[in-house]
Amino acid sequence: MSADERVLAAEPPLTTAWSRSRLGVFLSQPVSWVFLCVGGIIAFLSLYPTFFLFYGSLTDAPLGVPGHFTLQNYVRAYSDPEAYPLLLNSFIFGLGASGLSIVFALALAWITIRTNAPFRRLFELTAIIPNILPPILVSISWVMLLNPSNGLINGLFVKFFGMEKGPFNIYSMPGLIFVESLVLTPLAFLIVAAALKSMDPSLEESAKTLGSNEFGVMSRVTFPLIRPAILAAGTLNFVRAVESFDTPAIIALPARIEVFTTKIWREALGSFPTNHNLAAAYGVGILAVALVFVYLYRHFTSQVESFSTVTGKGFRPHQIDLGPWRYAASGVALLLLILLVVLPLLVLLLVSLLPYYHVPTWQTWQHLTLDHFRYVWATPRVHKAFVNSLFLALVGATACMVLASLASYITVRTKIAARGVIEGLVFIPWAFPGTAMALGLLWAYVDFPIPIYATIWIILIAYITRFLPYGLRAVTSTIIQVHKELEEASVVCGAGFLATFRRVLMPMMRPGVMAGWIILVTIFLREFSATLFLYSPGSEPLGPLLYFLYLDGMRGRVAAIGLAISLISVILIAIAQRYSRWESH
Amino acid sequence: MLKRSSLALLATAAVFLSAAPLYSQSANLIAAGKKEGKVVVYGSLESDTADSAFAGFKKKTGIDVEYWRASATKVMDRGLSEYRAGKPLFDVILTNDNPMQIMFKEGLFAKYDSPAAKEFTKEAIDPNLGPRYRNVVIGVVYNKDVIKPADAPKSLEDLVKPQYRGKLVMPDPTQHTTTTQWVASLDKLMGKEKAEKFIRDLAAQKPILVESLLPASERVVTGETPIAITYVKYVLTYAQKGAPLDYVRLGKFMGDGHYLGLDKKAPHGNAAKAFIDYFLGAENMTALAKLGEFVNRKGIYPPLPDADKIQFVEMYDLDAKKFAEKKKEYQQIFLR
Repeated sequence: MSADERVLAAEPPLTTAWSRSRLGVFLSQPVSWVFLCVGGIIAFLSLYPTFFLFYGSLTDAPLGVPGHFTLQNYVRAYSDPEAYPLLLNSFIFGLGASGLSIVFALALAWITIRTNAPFRRLFELTAIIPNILPPILVSISWVMLLNPSNGLINGLFVKFFGMEKGPFNIYSMPGLIFVESLVLTPLAFLIVAAALKSMDPSLEESAKTLGSNEFGVMSRVTFPLIRPAILAAGTLNFVRAVESFDTPAIIALPARIEVFTTKIWREALGSFPTNHNLAAAYGVGILAVALVFVYLYRHFTSQVESFSTVTGKGFRPHQIDLGPWRYAASGVALLLLILLVVLPLLVLLLVSLLPYYHVPTWQTWQHLTLDHFRYVWATPRVHKAFVNSLFLALVGATACMVLASLASYITVRTKIAARGVIEGLVFIPWAFPGTAMALGLLWAYVDFPIPIYATIWIILIAYITRFLPYGLRAVTSTIIQVHKELEEASVVCGAGFLATFRRVLMPMMRPGVMAGWIILVTIFLREFSATLFLYSPGSEPLGPLLYFLYLDGMRGRVAAIGLAISLISVILIAIAQRYSRWESH
Repeated sequence: MLKRSSLALLATAAVFLSAAPLYSQSANLIAAGKKEGKVVVYGSLESDTADSAFAGFKKKTGIDVEYWRASATKVMDRGLSEYRAGKPLFDVILTNDNPMQIMFKEGLFAKYDSPAAKEFTKEAIDPNLGPRYRNVVIGVVYNKDVIKPADAPKSLEDLVKPQYRGKLVMPDPTQHTTTTQWVASLDKLMGKEKAEKFIRDLAAQKPILVESLLPASERVVTGETPIAITYVKYVLTYAQKGAPLDYVRLGKFMGDGHYLGLDKKAPHGNAAKAFIDYFLGAENMTALAKLGEFVNRKGIYPPLPDADKIQFVEMYDLDAKKFAEKKKEYQQIFLR
């Protein structure tokens, strides 16, 4: 063997080529392994159940039964000319509700985070309480308040202003938009508030130095800077409104306004027997529309650098002194909170104390009862549901935020070619209507080699799969504001990817992470549309319990449990908010 | 007085004597069921009714019941899905007639002749599913505080009179399956021609449409809308809490039957049989009637005025195609 041959033997040609290849370079970086792991997990979570839904939409038999390939479900779903005016109704409803929710959320977030309005901390803490109330309860509360025949607020107008008829009619498109916007506001608030907390005040100070007044700064600097967060919240809320069935079921049906979800319900999910195949075909259509919005979102936020506002300089968000206007600001915040929290909670409290659900009269006060709270206190089924839901909320939200943080970093910060795919994958299961997605999950995991079907773990996987976009949005809107110079400084100082991620990025992303965590905890504590299909005896969480008590007309018990959930959520939110503040670092 | 107590004694003795064979059979089943540990039930039975039955069973046998509650359609979906996947986790299913018949045809159920079945009327025994343990009866319910009984409608036909325009709430027949079935079965009460006219006149009254039967009754309870087409049992359940409801004595009332079936591959077969025996037994049927259920065990009625005079007419079983057709038809009539 010659010397050259000995060298070749010591360094096999294949190994040399490998180490020099682009793949070798790719795999030599820790971030690539993180990408592969996170991408792999998300791809599995997302595509595995989605596959079953696509399959279902293209077959003529229920899922799990061998059928024949067909396009009939798509023909039936989309050849009906009546479907298209309904799409317009859904679009008006979605745009109106998400737009109004953004207006409410922006006003509330700006007042509580950036001004010196009195009681702003209290307003901030209570602003997300509605997120913990099941949307169905919010709708019912507003029907009790604003229905045209005996709504409580309409009744007050009739009594005190001598009107013949109350001025409000909840059973109308504006009523529908108003109630849905109240349901959606907390989510928008959390996302926008997180972005406002993370903002570098130096740009605002520069504007002031150049002669701009406080409102000029607000309209020309502050709001444009948080545009990604506004778009994120708007995108999420639009899709959420278009997919929503709870509010339309309570308000649109009596108003004879038909939206796309009520059509899906009538023809597919609520039909007898359930037409899973048709539901899947509708779901694929909604998925396509939702993905257009994901694309739009990514288009809006593509110039990441232009939104970078958190730099290496130490700062504290700039607080605007409103002078005497601060009381007016508190007044606006208070009014919004009366609409969002006080009125629905008062109705809830009232219902929890009534022997049966009715509009109160003077005799009512003599018959108030604590029976519903006694039921909550004494019923093992309720205790078990609380334990299950707390487990799902705490473990699920934490796991979701870890995954969301890593996915968000990869999507926003790296130049890995396939990074955009991750965001698309995350959105797929979320873009399907909840019930259709649950069917996909059920079928995906019924034959899964690891026996998680009919356990609490399938619910946990469902929550992570379906609600990961909420976490992703919350973190992304924060991470794109963090300037790269901080990471670069860390890398220059010798820190690796994981150390930089843990010691530099995570603390900077903390407001977004905690905002996402709070959103997820509050949703997981009351989620029911997916859970309803997936829970089994012994793993019943609060969502299905509330739903069935509601279905059985036990509004008092539902209200009492709703109040208990609110209390627990407020405690969890208060703890989480302590960790989300910059001041606590 | 003496006569009345003698009759009560005789009735009690009759119940115990008739139940004797049941208990001897049950003793073995209960012992075997205890070893299995629990029984898993999937059903659409309402929470309080279910809790009452399960607590009674647990007290009598010591066997726990794990309950998965859903709407009738979803119970069927899940039962069929698990069965087709070869992983049925349930022992007993209890829900409406239509889904039970479909599951029977798919082969989900084992034949089980409970000794308690002989206490049910002949008309209430289905050749496939056994005893129809309860009827859910749909009628016209009204709020006595808003509409005086003298001014209330006296028949279904009265609902289309001008004075009730805008005062009626009902589930949307284009959305709510049971209501689709109810409207489609009206010809059983009125004949085809009259029924068709009645349906059009009813739609012309512009009733408030809601998503199901319970919200309809709630609107009557709150007085938001004083008259509803809904379950008659709500009169009792709300009256027990103080609500001023009554129902129109229609004579013939339409509704749906409920059955329970034993899973062919029940993981806890003995506990399941013991549960079925208990469920159909006098103790549970009496308890259910007290909660407002129209049970079919002989001589047991809910404590609702004139409950024994209600003549039950079972609605048509519609297949998927017929449901779709009817929903489309009612869309043209009710949503125009």
